[in-house]
Amino acid sequence: MNYHILSSIIFLPLLMAILLGVMRAPLKVLKAGAILSSLTTLLLVVRVIIDFNPKGGMQFMQNLPWIQNAGITYSVGLDALSLVLLTLIALLMPLLYLYMLKEHRKGYWYNMLLLQTGVTGAVLSLDLILFYLFWETMLLPIFVMIGKYGNGLRQYNSMKIVLMTILGSMSMLFSILYMGYIYFETTGAWSFSLYDLATIDLSTKSSIWLTAGFLLAFAIKIPLVGFHTWMAPAYGSAPTPAVVIMSAIMAKLGVYGIWRFGYGLFGGTLHYYTPTIITLALIGLLYYAIRAITEKNLRKMFAYSSGSHLSLIALGIFLSNIYAWGGSLYFIATHALASAGMFMMIGITYNRFRSVNIEQLGGIAQKAPIFTFFFAFFALCIAGLPGTGGFVAELLIIIGAFKSSFLVGILSATTMLSAMLYIFWMLQRTLFGASHNETKIADLTLKEIAMLTPLVVLLLLTGIMPSLFIPYLEPQLLGGF
Amino acid sequence: MLNIIVTLPFLSSLLIALIYLGNTNAKRFVLYTSLGIGSLVIITTLSLMSLYDMMQGAATIHTKLFEWIHLGDFQIEVAFMADRLSIIMISFITFIGTLIHIYAAGYMKDDAGYGKFFSYFNLFMGSMLLLVLADNPIMMFVGWELVGLSSYLLIGFYHQDAANIKAANKAFMLNRVGDFGFIMGLSILFISLEGHGFSFDAIKANIALIDYQTLTLIGLLLFVGAMGKSAQIPLYVWLPDAMAGPTPVSALIHAATMVTAGVYMVARFSFLYIQIPDIGLFIASIGAFSALFAAIIASYQSDIKKILAYSTMSQLGYMFIAVGLESYSSGIFHVFTHAFFKALLFMGAGAVIIAMHHEQNIFKMGALRGELKLTYITMFIATLAISGIPPFAGFFSKDAILVTAFASGHYAIWTIGTLTAGLTAFYMFRMLFSVFHARKSKAQRVLHPLPKCMTYPLIILAIGSTFAGFVGVNGAYGGENFIAHFLQLPDISVHLSHSSEYMLALLNVSLALFGMTLAYKLYGHRAKEAQPDTLFKKVIINKFYIDALYETLFMKPLLSLSRFIATTVDMKIFDGFLNYSILFYRVLAGQFIRLQNGKVRAYALYFLLGVSAMSLFLIYKLGVNL
Repeated sequence: MNYHILSSIIFLPLLMAILLGVMRAPLKVLKAGAILSSLTTLLLVVRVIIDFNPKGGMQFMQNLPWIQNAGITYSVGLDALSLVLLTLIALLMPLLYLYMLKEHRKGYWYNMLLLQTGVTGAVLSLDLILFYLFWETMLLPIFVMIGKYGNGLRQYNSMKIVLMTILGSMSMLFSILYMGYIYFETTGAWSFSLYDLATIDLSTKSSIWLTAGFLLAFAIKIPLVGFHTWMAPAYGSAPTPAVVIMSAIMAKLGVYGIWRFGYGLFGGTLHYYTPTIITLALIGLLYYAIRAITEKNLRKMFAYSSGSHLSLIALGIFLSNIYAWGGSLYFIATHALASAGMFMMIGITYNRFRSVNIEQLGGIAQKAPIFTFFFAFFALCIAGLPGTGGFVAELLIIIGAFKSSFLVGILSATTMLSAMLYIFWMLQRTLFGASHNETKIADLTLKEIAMLTPLVVLLLLTGIMPSLFIPYLEPQLLGGF
Repeated sequence: MLNIIVTLPFLSSLLIALIYLGNTNAKRFVLYTSLGIGSLVIITTLSLMSLYDMMQGAATIHTKLFEWIHLGDFQIEVAFMADRLSIIMISFITFIGTLIHIYAAGYMKDDAGYGKFFSYFNLFMGSMLLLVLADNPIMMFVGWELVGLSSYLLIGFYHQDAANIKAANKAFMLNRVGDFGFIMGLSILFISLEGHGFSFDAIKANIALIDYQTLTLIGLLLFVGAMGKSAQIPLYVWLPDAMAGPTPVSALIHAATMVTAGVYMVARFSFLYIQIPDIGLFIASIGAFSALFAAIIASYQSDIKKILAYSTMSQLGYMFIAVGLESYSSGIFHVFTHAFFKALLFMGAGAVIIAMHHEQNIFKMGALRGELKLTYITMFIATLAISGIPPFAGFFSKDAILVTAFASGHYAIWTIGTLTAGLTAFYMFRMLFSVFHARKSKAQRVLHPLPKCMTYPLIILAIGSTFAGFVGVNGAYGGENFIAHFLQLPDISVHLSHSSEYMLALLNVSLALFGMTLAYKLYGHRAKEAQPDTLFKKVIINKFYIDALYETLFMKPLLSLSRFIATTVDMKIFDGFLNYSILFYRVLAGQFIRLQNGKVRAYALYFLLGVSAMSLFLIYKLGVNL
């Protein structure tokens, strides 16, 4: 059972999509099928969590020959790092399906199924060609969802995200192929397996260039400051489920990539880029936050917010001590939960008011107290309030930063201030004050409460009792990467 | 027991919140009141029982709820500690908190958000108790931030008015600036201890590991947190605006409890601060300066709650003088007495405001002493107490602080403190006489009746304001300074002959009486609002333009920077780079299109050029002999 479990988790949504497509399933069946597949994967992931051994390193591995001439294998596996992301994906999908329950466009549902396979596969792949394949697969549904179902300048914006991301993927592909070739030259056999390629002895110069190839892809995905101009337009145009996946999962995959492949393949040369990335991350932390202050569009504001926090996560990885690493890994999870909740609330805001422009909102608190509670709760989570998971993560990163150097410590502690600025002004203008329109709006429905409550509970649990979760991560963090 | 004291308010807050969100329109006065006040009565009883035990000589209590985090050597527990310092704190916090809850039940009775109010109020109590009882600085910081959150929620309680939310934002943001310093201090402290544990006991035991310079930095950064929370210069500007919240909130949070957290923190870290007397002196100077500064502004304010807010800031200044000069127990003693009379003043002010149909300008009141007899008498007692008239509570605690300043040779601080004492009496009696004595304005008025639950707590607090000082009577007045002996804090020992102490006290009291007389002369009969007619008055009435200064120094540049990033850096530089590279390809493509023009003669030309180039290459480069 355990041998196939990861593959089942990866391919179940895709198979479901193919099956439903071949059947030309009517909308109701399609919805039921998608929900069924997401619930099944969630159950399987629960099973994986139960069987997971924190001290076991890479586990649940499956290795099958695939394209033997080129040494490409189908190999997947899971450790603490991928477990975090896998759990998030499995948890968010059913909630997103619940969110889009009334969605009647079939393509939307197919894209979500494909998206799940793409992101899950990227998280679990241990073969670089396989990873690359999934990495590109997850971009397709995003392209379609923004271009076809988005709003605003949707086609321009979807083109922009795809072109910029592909620029990164191409440089990564080049690095992958070149490494495979070197492996062939030194051993006489082709392989693209992570563990085989990690054994190559590279010259410093070529290693620096190859690392750059990977880092470019990840820097665009995160995005680090300077590689970010796709972000706000894409977040602004994308439909809510796509935004949630982009912010909660795909941006984190950039960080995941640095962790898995950066440390996995180039542990020796990565330090060459450490000063650059720490600088970019610290600039990004403040740059995005300050940019967010005057942003009027809520989706874009939280796109920048996401960029700011992702910069902090990236910073934590490069600080290379257990506090910062623990903080980054923890932040991946808690920020995903908080931003998923926030973007769902923004989606709900759009459904209610037909606008996500701050200037057209206001006075919601008088009319819809439950709405206000959830909205404010997720916003405060993003501001890193104690009692929510984000606080634990930020605290760990700040301590880790001070461990590494005083200056980095001070600059990373500004995260206490930066998020606060845009969050509290936003709350003031969105929820409170006098109402701009007299129309009555409905408070959250039971369905909406049901879809948001798991996020609230998890954010509180991660904030109040981190000791429930940290033991899953600690052995691997102590072991280094 | 401590576990119950801290968790019960949180639980009742959560329960009330859930019930309230279930149906926000339902009137559940009895349910909310019994949940909100009931939980407080329980924890007050428990706290007083613990206090009694400890007075009988019981040892420090440690309890552990669960492990919070364990990552490498970063091991933090949700654990509580009640030593003598924290037990004093929670005793009066829960006791006065309960009284204010009862008062609030009357004050907020008809408010649609009654349930919400009690949920926030209990959330605050839980957070405050967490702050005080925390066994390690991280848990203290959690409480520290959560009291800030509850303060934000309560200041912005009437959220329909954008001004209130602005005030709430200001409070939260300035507090967070302080917290920014606090968390840096904690992080450096943790790193410097090199994994020797992070409970207060462990820090105290290993404090010698840290060199003097680092300790100075840590002490300074932690104090930045206190500046924010306890509204000291330069982070004080939120406190006057915080009066936008309902009056019980001001009484509980912005007078008796939360704002004193900074003083408590310094006392809690007294083992650290005694090592760095330079920072102590800095703290005392900030305190002295804040005390005087706030007193000057208070003398020109017209809003009853703002006068009290500035007076709170001023009294907090005294407390920081005490803890800065390493007289920790007299600082805590003043926290203790101040809680009684300041809560009483706010609650009295709230009663007046309700009676006057939400009028807050003291110059529009006047001659209320006949109609609001009980409020008048109790507020008079509190004003005597805050002015330092013996034998009321404030006399003993303020006297202890000034004696320390004098005896330890800090004459500048002592002078400021003494002057401020006189000024305090002046502006407090100015308020009291304007409200209760001065001739009333001509307009007819019908007072709003006050419920009993709003007036009876005043009596209890008046008793406290009268007698609370007796727990700290020092040798000069025939007492044993019970509170200082009980607290066992590492106080500086100062020696001053009894006769000098009497001289100092005499000076203070005569200054206070002078201020009182002056106030009566000016405001006892005919109260007139201060007019900004001279430059001097204009500057003070506009609070030295500090708000405007902050606005120009911080907010405006930040907003411009944000717009600059949006319109220039993002659009022109980052996007510009992309767009120009696209443009470059476009132009290039345009040029290539020209080549492919479909004309045979052009193609024949390319053909000729190509063949010629090839021939030249063959001949000159490769040396082919034709």
